[in-house]
Amino acid sequence: MVRAVALALGALVVFPTFASAHGPTRQKVTETVEINAPADKVWAVIGNFQDMSWHPAVAKTEGSGGNDANATRTLTLTSGGTIEEKLISNDPAKKVYKYEIVKVDPKVLPVNNYSSNLSVKGEGDKSTVEWKGAFYRGFMNNDPPPELSDEAAKKAVTDVYRGGLDALKKKLESGG
Amino acid sequence: MRPSGKLGLAVAAVIAIAAAAVSASADPDRVTEALVTNQTGDSLTVVTLSDMKPAVEVAIGGKPAGIAVSPDRRRAYITSPESKEMVVFDAEARRVVKRFKVGEGPLGIAAHPTNGRVYVADWYTHKVSVVDPEAGAIVAEIAVGDSPSGLAVTPDGRFLLSADRDSDAVSIIDAATNRRLRSVPVGKRPFGITIDASGERAYTANVASDDVSIIDIAAGTMVGTVPVGHRPYAVALAKGRAFVTNQYGSSLSVIDLGSAKVIKTIDVGDHPEGIATDTTGDHVYVACWFDNVLMRVDTGTLAVTGEAAVGDGPRAFGLFLR
Repeated sequence: MVRAVALALGALVVFPTFASAHGPTRQKVTETVEINAPADKVWAVIGNFQDMSWHPAVAKTEGSGGNDANATRTLTLTSGGTIEEKLISNDPAKKVYKYEIVKVDPKVLPVNNYSSNLSVKGEGDKSTVEWKGAFYRGFMNNDPPPELSDEAAKKAVTDVYRGGLDALKKKLESGG
Repeated sequence: MRPSGKLGLAVAAVIAIAAAAVSASADPDRVTEALVTNQTGDSLTVVTLSDMKPAVEVAIGGKPAGIAVSPDRRRAYITSPESKEMVVFDAEARRVVKRFKVGEGPLGIAAHPTNGRVYVADWYTHKVSVVDPEAGAIVAEIAVGDSPSGLAVTPDGRFLLSADRDSDAVSIIDAATNRRLRSVPVGKRPFGITIDASGERAYTANVASDDVSIIDIAAGTMVGTVPVGHRPYAVALAKGRAFVTNQYGSSLSVIDLGSAKVIKTIDVGDHPEGIATDTTGDHVYVACWFDNVLMRVDTGTLAVTGEAAVGDGPRAFGLFLR
């Protein structure tokens, strides 16, 4: 997310958008964190689609539809950028929800056709949170500029996941 | 993220095992292997269908995605969009025998049943290239709609169909003259396209409208629409049913073709993509892109009955069984 902010400030060139097309190779990122807290307690923090306040880069969550499929939310980032997202499915019993990005400026997050799973699995007093995403890079044609390449997209998503998961661990393990 | 070193080791290990293995000849009566393109893994996994075990993983390069098999099942034709190549794979010897440039974004690929030609859809130049795979040469180009993706040829070889994703339409092409006869409007963003055994109907998976369009090929019209799961990718046909991979739904929608209704949704791995039917119609095989597995689904009981580990990011976009 820090990178996304830097990107937003640094981007002087306006890139054309390709709303419907995508590049040839979809990318994937999976990040996990182990937390010394039971899964129920972790899910209580992350399981509400309408409250992303556990992520340090998110300043505000506004949405509608609660936690039902097709619910929407708009994340306003501390950087000022926004990401519009939609809930694909939610399974509180299995502690997993799936969502997709409906709209994001590649300067905020350089991805297209992004979908993601956030889940938690528990064993006694310990839990593992997994956050995984599938997406195309920010530039939809051949020969992307470096800031909209496959590598840039993967790094940006990895940074978002790491930032969120590490903060979540800290918050739960400090009893916050 | 998985450490890439681990994957590299695994690839090296299976390649070593395969070097010692003897490849089985193609059975004339039934398919025996799945050839799964692993896009992020830059490789092809050969899965033995009898035991659902990966036999070998072969490096391909160029981020392989699309695949077709020659009518005699001895060769596989693969598209590598990143290197803009078509790769010819000797499926008996299990090695790459030829590679050459085709267009700017080769993706969908299909083999003609009799004339020896292979068709390659180009995502960026909006054309289908007609390729002589043995010569490694493009012999003709056919202008189609925007960003053609899936390709399919009727069993009698008369027509080539191209799912023109960004035109929301399907091109019907005369395979004898390479002339585009018409463009049939379908649902939004058709991606995979599959033709039935009689050559009468084609089915497209429409990524953006979450449905399947049914096309009457002779009439050149869309005759039905069936809502399916989220982000459908491709369609396989067996036993009067269509099996549709729903990428975001992590599921298969099973359509009864008589009533044109979904009769069941089967949970499979994450991001199911390429899907193909075996010769008997008893099973469909599904590549699950995120989970790196090939799953087998019984088309009678509609249950998942097998699973094989494949390389990273399997797409298997096309007819990948031999």
